[in-house]
Amino acid sequence: MKFVPKEITKEVNVTPVHPLVNLAYLLGTVTLAGIVIYVVLGLIASQLVKRIGIETEEQIGASLVNSLPNRIDTGDSRLEYLQDLTSSLQDNLSQTEIAVVEYPPVKISILDMPEENAMVTAGSHLMVTEGLLDQVESENELAFVLAHELGHLHNRDPLDALGRSLVLMTVSGLLGVGQGPNSVLVPNVLNLTEQGHSRTQETMADEYAIALMMARYDHGGHSLDFFRRLQSEEFDLGVLSPVAEWQQTHPLTDNRIERLESIAEASDWPLTGNPTSLPEGIECANFEAPC
Amino acid sequence: MSNLTLTTLEGVPGREIVEHYGLVQGSTIRAKHVGKDILAGFKNIVGGELKGYTELLQESRKESIERMVMQAEQLGANAVVNIRFATSSIAPGAAELFAYGTAVRVK
Amino acid sequence: MELLVPLILIGVGFFVGRHFEAKHYASIRDREKKTLHVPMMNFGAKQDLPYAHDAQLFVGSVVVANDYFKTISAGLRNLVGGRVVVYESLVDRGRREALLRMKEEAIEWGASQIVNVRFETSSIGGKSRDQGLSAVEIMAYGTAIR
Repeated sequence: MKFVPKEITKEVNVTPVHPLVNLAYLLGTVTLAGIVIYVVLGLIASQLVKRIGIETEEQIGASLVNSLPNRIDTGDSRLEYLQDLTSSLQDNLSQTEIAVVEYPPVKISILDMPEENAMVTAGSHLMVTEGLLDQVESENELAFVLAHELGHLHNRDPLDALGRSLVLMTVSGLLGVGQGPNSVLVPNVLNLTEQGHSRTQETMADEYAIALMMARYDHGGHSLDFFRRLQSEEFDLGVLSPVAEWQQTHPLTDNRIERLESIAEASDWPLTGNPTSLPEGIECANFEAPC
Repeated sequence: MSNLTLTTLEGVPGREIVEHYGLVQGSTIRAKHVGKDILAGFKNIVGGELKGYTELLQESRKESIERMVMQAEQLGANAVVNIRFATSSIAPGAAELFAYGTAVRVK
Repeated sequence: MELLVPLILIGVGFFVGRHFEAKHYASIRDREKKTLHVPMMNFGAKQDLPYAHDAQLFVGSVVVANDYFKTISAGLRNLVGGRVVVYESLVDRGRREALLRMKEEAIEWGASQIVNVRFETSSIGGKSRDQGLSAVEIMAYGTAIR
């Protein structure tokens, strides 16, 4: 037996694939699967929305809302004012071309939070923050925000979001997506698609709101002032702004205003007019200024 | 497959080793996809053979042998003797199938 | 922002990892050529002991860790299934390095051949397996004779 030294020159134990090509293939496959999950999610959520009864929705909504801290839902005369303003907006729906959709009666409450914000959840609970009431300068501004939230209710977005998050949680739990090395990438990808989805919802709610404002006040003047003020506080992100837009749930205010203005222009709606003033002391409990 | 003689013995019975060329090795690393993981999770409740995994590992082991044989062919061997296997988990969900032996020429 | 940090880590992992890999492979090929004259085989246990003055056990081992790019690729591969290409070079490198370390040590000792070579591979994970922090120890051992 004799030893013959020979060299192995061809690498057989390493597949000759460029790592970037490999990564691109993997990302492509996972993204494709993500899109499929996204579509299926949408289908399941819409089925859920159709099947859920008004009563069940009220129950879910109540349990969601009751866990919120610092929520004022009785004993403040501002609630009546907000309720009246909302009803007057809803009453004007017949003047628009938007079809009537059934949802539980709107229940308004105020959240004691400094950030200016408004939101709706299942069961038609509409919440505005103290920060928002402090910042708005005319009834038109406030009414636009309320109309926007009504738009979400009209499109059944809170239920849709509920259904989606439920299914998403189940799927990610099953796949173990939240663990291991995937925990950095996959949830982010899913988040991005979810955020893209809710951006579409925001745009649709905006379109609903501007139509309702037009029916109620006969002009769109001053309704966007609140967003304009927010816009002036924003940073200019320059080239990064498309990335920022994709990461944010609400479209950047800049784009939002532009979109609304172009809608108004296309429908021949005037964007100027006199503002309706807010009642005194809207920023204080029971209108008892100063506070 | 190629016509190399593969044995786990120190030689090939009835033949004589005339030349040897050193170690040859083949390895492959595989991951199973998420669907199989979920099925295996269910199987863990009742126990029994995980058919999907058995097939996957068999197929991978075959590939590691093929890779080892490719090295042996490069060296001009006509047999690989004393083949050993090693299976190890490299990372969560990824297993390495490794085969090695000594490339020889027999007469 | 949340996405930016992993992206930067992936980029760093890819370029730095690739650079080191290329360098390491060059060194491995060079050393393999230099040590080619000493025969290595993985049989020898059941044959007549070869005539020798001296015999001694030699062990070469190496612990390799994957870079961030590989971790991410492998993580995705875990969802898709199939051949984990990025780890192949890692383990191949590690195994050849371990073998070379054993061989070089044996040659220094004056070995004329190394018989009954065996390999051992084990995942020795970092902090916890869940974090995907993984390192692999590859070890080669055999008996050198002179």
